[in-house]
Amino acid sequence: MEKIILEHFQNRKQAEETVPKNIPEVISNTVVDKFFLEVYSLTIFTARFFKEVVKPPYEFNELAKQSFLIGYKSLSLVAITSFIIGLVLTVQSRPTLAKFGAESLLPVMVAISIIREIGPVITALIFAGKVGSGIGAELASMNVTEQIDAMQVSHTNPFKYLVVTRVLSATLMLPILVAFSDAVGLFGSYVAVNLKGNVTSYLFFSQIFQSLEFKDLFPAFIKTFFFGFAIGLIGCYKGYNSNKGTEGVGKAANSAVVFASLMVFIIDMIAVQITSLMQN
Amino acid sequence: MTTETSTIENKDDNKQTNSVVVEMQHLKKSFGEKEVLLDINLVMNKGENLVILGKSGTGKSVLIKCIVGLMEIDDGKLLLFRQDISQLKAKELTELHRKIGFLFQSGALYDSMTVRENLEFPLKRQVTKVSKKEMDELVKEALENVGLSDTIDMTPSELSGGMRKRLGLARTLILKPEIMLYDEPSTGLDPITSKEISNLILEVQKKYHTSSIIITHDRECAKLTANRIIVIRDGVCAAEGSYAELEKSEDPWVRSFFE
Ligand SMILES: Nc1ncnc2c1ncn2[C@@H]1O[C@H](COP(=O)(O)OP(=O)(O)O)[C@@H](O)[C@H]1O
Ligand SMILES: [Mg+2]
Repeated sequence: MEKIILEHFQNRKQAEETVPKNIPEVISNTVVDKFFLEVYSLTIFTARFFKEVVKPPYEFNELAKQSFLIGYKSLSLVAITSFIIGLVLTVQSRPTLAKFGAESLLPVMVAISIIREIGPVITALIFAGKVGSGIGAELASMNVTEQIDAMQVSHTNPFKYLVVTRVLSATLMLPILVAFSDAVGLFGSYVAVNLKGNVTSYLFFSQIFQSLEFKDLFPAFIKTFFFGFAIGLIGCYKGYNSNKGTEGVGKAANSAVVFASLMVFIIDMIAVQITSLMQN
Repeated sequence: MTTETSTIENKDDNKQTNSVVVEMQHLKKSFGEKEVLLDINLVMNKGENLVILGKSGTGKSVLIKCIVGLMEIDDGKLLLFRQDISQLKAKELTELHRKIGFLFQSGALYDSMTVRENLEFPLKRQVTKVSKKEMDELVKEALENVGLSDTIDMTPSELSGGMRKRLGLARTLILKPEIMLYDEPSTGLDPITSKEISNLILEVQKKYHTSSIIITHDRECAKLTANRIIVIRDGVCAAEGSYAELEKSEDPWVRSFFE
């Protein structure tokens, strides 16, 4: 199947080379071809992931190690960004709310935007930049220097050892990071509220928790698993299938970030649609 | 008298066939449109160092990757330890592959692990579990074999190219393979280090009685290590013989490797 499709694309390429066509059509054709070829091989890669993830042996040690590394690597960056976002969002929303005399709603409004949208998306984007590119570069350089082949010669399934563990770690760690980011963001907001006026932390947080509903928390929490999965998978896919050559490493890291960030927004959009459908 | 010689000959014959560890018959391998190996026929005997020469990109690495199972052959026969691999079950084939060691061109040390973890990796991946104490001893011995005992807690990035290759060799030898495949062991090294590697290959042959295939462009390495040399050109075995024989070959193309 794979062979047939690849051959089809090769033949098509050759046909294009020999038969002169008008240029825009050739370009659009190859770009479209490339896109579908990419989608096709990513689908194969994903299917392989689901096949290998259930099949023993399980690489628990490596999973634990990767989870620690993946979480630890992005922790400080997530903390700083979330704090600043919480702070800035609060400071900037205040005048607008004050105009309507609704300043007392400030904590709740900021909390809902952080928990529903800003926390998950910002953390996922940082995660894509830090972890997605890291995985892409790591696997690509292992590929170039034959470390993946060496693993196979040592009777270790490299897909299981490298890909499955990393995708699972990313899927499990991103939700934790998002929860952490939400907490830090709310703290940033609390600090900003106290820059002007004086609100006790008890009042601030009880106001927030009283107005938060299950429907704010749950969908936001669920979608972070999908963010993590997509970022891990795309990082691994780009790294594992990179070109053999040193330029392949940079390319894998770069395209992993671009593709994973785009995917985060696409999943976010789908999640919003599904939640609003369910709430009607 | 005559019967005696014939029995001796028979014995010799038996020994000959029994001692073939790798055999290829009309082996083919291509990637898409690109035909890399067209018709490879070769035999490797037990305990021998077989050197394969050929220009870059002729498919030498592909050839040994087929032996160790990193690539699948398209057509022809490949026999390991006199067993046709196409007739074997996956499990039996894995068992055969376990007897084969592969030294990668770059050493292929795992960057994310220390030297000790690198050497422990193949031990931990065996079927039979090794105790912590045994593991320490094997690691120590492997490092002594290549003369790098003091690097045990370093990471690969702190090591030179020659050291990486020696450690790659140590990691491969830790499982005491019966067949060793060396992919360009001396490429990218200075003449002195590359001579050290060649000597290590000879030591390995003597100490563990391994049979080896050595891929190289390096004339010195070939001269030092080869019991027999095969030259590959355009996907087929173009010449075969000892170093001395091929050096005086009629074919100027073959001779050019030895100048
Ligand atoms: N995985 C692969 N996919 C496609 N082509 C490959 C692959 N591996 C090797 N080749 C091609 O096979 C040819 C032989 O490669 P190789 O065995 O590495 O040469 P060398 O003799 O220098 O070791 C090269 O032209 C290379 O492009
Ligand atoms: Mg090669």
